[in-house]
Amino acid sequence: MLAGQVMGLAACLSDHLEATFTQSYGPEARGGACSAQLIISDKQIHYPYVRNADILVCMSQTGYEKYRQMLKAEGTLIIDQDMVRSVEGATGDVFPVPATRMAEELGRKMMANIVMLGFVTSVTEAVSLKGMLSSVADSVPKGTEKTNIAAFNKGYDLGQAMLKARMKKAAARL
Amino acid sequence: MNDDLKIVLFLCNWSPHAAYQTLQDTLAPLPLEIRMIRIPCSGRITKSLLFKAFETGADGVVLLGCEAGSCRYGIGTRVAQRNVEDTRGILKLLGLGEERLGFGSFNPDQHRELLDYLTAFRNKIAELGKTPVVPATRAKEIALSAESAASISRAHNVYVCQDCGKCSSACPLALTGKEFSPRAIANAAAAGDLDSPAIREDIWSCLTCGLCYDRCPSAVSFPDFIKDMRCATSANGKFNAHEGFFHSLMRAMTSPGLPVQHWNWLPPEIQTDPNSKTLFFGGCAPYFDTFFKNFLDISTSDILVDALRLMNFFDIRPAILQNERCCGHDLLWSGDRENFLKLARLNVEMISAMGIEELVTACPECYRAFSRDYPENGIKTGFKVKHIFELAEAEIGKGAVGFKKLNRKITYQDPCRLSRTQTGCELPRNLLKRLNVADFTEMRDHGASSLCCGNCAWTGCDSYSKAMQVNRLRQAGEAGANLLVTACPKCQIHLRCAMEDPFLENEIRMEMMDLTSLLAKTIEWQG
Repeated sequence: MLAGQVMGLAACLSDHLEATFTQSYGPEARGGACSAQLIISDKQIHYPYVRNADILVCMSQTGYEKYRQMLKAEGTLIIDQDMVRSVEGATGDVFPVPATRMAEELGRKMMANIVMLGFVTSVTEAVSLKGMLSSVADSVPKGTEKTNIAAFNKGYDLGQAMLKARMKKAAARL
Repeated sequence: MNDDLKIVLFLCNWSPHAAYQTLQDTLAPLPLEIRMIRIPCSGRITKSLLFKAFETGADGVVLLGCEAGSCRYGIGTRVAQRNVEDTRGILKLLGLGEERLGFGSFNPDQHRELLDYLTAFRNKIAELGKTPVVPATRAKEIALSAESAASISRAHNVYVCQDCGKCSSACPLALTGKEFSPRAIANAAAAGDLDSPAIREDIWSCLTCGLCYDRCPSAVSFPDFIKDMRCATSANGKFNAHEGFFHSLMRAMTSPGLPVQHWNWLPPEIQTDPNSKTLFFGGCAPYFDTFFKNFLDISTSDILVDALRLMNFFDIRPAILQNERCCGHDLLWSGDRENFLKLARLNVEMISAMGIEELVTACPECYRAFSRDYPENGIKTGFKVKHIFELAEAEIGKGAVGFKKLNRKITYQDPCRLSRTQTGCELPRNLLKRLNVADFTEMRDHGASSLCCGNCAWTGCDSYSKAMQVNRLRQAGEAGANLLVTACPKCQIHLRCAMEDPFLENEIRMEMMDLTSLLAKTIEWQG
């Protein structure tokens, strides 16, 4: 939820794009799959719900099962590799990310979403890095900015490394 | 005659000397620049003697022996050829030019040919001109003064020694059976007993490995104390290993005008960029390989190539310095601070002129020298110093990198300069744990307690060094490893030397590879 909000804020406030943000939770708030839907556009957005998502980020297996049909066939799927075990039926790009593990290594499991944000920023380039950094710093609880930025950078670096790895492997195949 | 030219002629006592004598008897016009030294056999002129002449300012050196097969001692000519070949390799790397070292063999009746050869050699040297080497002054025997000994002892807190003996009971040299005790040295220094063998001799035996410092409850930095004591006195090269060849080499490198050719041998696929703000500093590995070529099966230059490959893998194209000099570590640690400072200033001057912001090295000694010994001796570097392991750990830590399977059981030899005095022992272990090998086992003595490879700064090598090396290799065998991973070219040289033992060969022989090479050879992109 927070992750979607942070990204939307960055899109609006720093990158001056249009963004809508809707969230769905109910009983799920007590443990279960919930979702945040974010639309970012340089034009006006008329309908706030996502129907054909370009990017789907899943932090749990049930979340994947529940929302996978919303992703376009060629859409980018980003998963927490330790939480989502099977990505049956995925047809586009899949990026497995050890976000929870990395957050644990950084000291707080809670920051998995921030690690993921870093990765999403890096791989999708939907919003600018600068905007995201200031947005993360503004949105997290006071006093935790430094660790959260570190977590964000960790995810961002992994994204960059993974893009590079794919490029190199593609070059090697040629 | 060109008064300035100095050509040293080492002349074998047997065949060529007879020819030379004929020339002298007939008042033949021998080139006057040639200074002849009569020697018992050309095979007795070691690489260090040949090079010593260049270090002290010779413009050319000629070694003349008997025709192969007519050597009075059988193998003299063959040995001489080998020595000449190796020394020429060194001259080439230094940019002095191989042609400055001549080698020939003459029969007693070939005096005319000898005259032609010497005249031609003289003309060639005249054409090449004066040597760019400026002889580096080195004071002869300096006695250790009571004041300097006392101030060094004070500076390193030797007076707080509690005489507990933990240093001597941990010292690998003492444990090997050598009559050597850090405690006795500390006691003698504290008591001002400068004439004792503990001071006069033992300070030159210390490995400066730092194990005693690790154990000392009073935190007396014994290696630094030894280093300063060595700098305050001089043993006049008495304890130098390899007859002081490497000390000569380092001193020759203090000449600013030397057009060193440090990197000409690099494979073409290595990518470097002269405008990069990152410099890769190689170190002396190419010299080691040239010097030991005919004796040990080592190739420590591979470490430099693999370090560059690793950087290239991460899309880092560093600058390299063709005129790179030795970092000077071994001069400082064998008591020649004066020439160490000359090297340090030269290196820093050249590197700063390139606009370098970060220096990366794969050699623990270069790393220690640049990051610690330079600043401690008043040389400001102005650039960051990083070991290749730090760079690799940071880059690999970003993710999307994995390692190919290597079906070897490995164990790891810590270099003292990295594990005990600089980065600590965790850094290489983090990298080792990332590798995809069959097994990684530690030796009995490992980490902060690990054993030195038996020698440091080319000083004080003896049978006890050998015993230490054999002990270390046995530990590697006991750990069940079949690949000994090292992280310093010197560890490879010293341990390989011990493996040459004809009686123990099969028992202690083990393949070695530097961790840098292991990383570069198995790393791959994953994602």
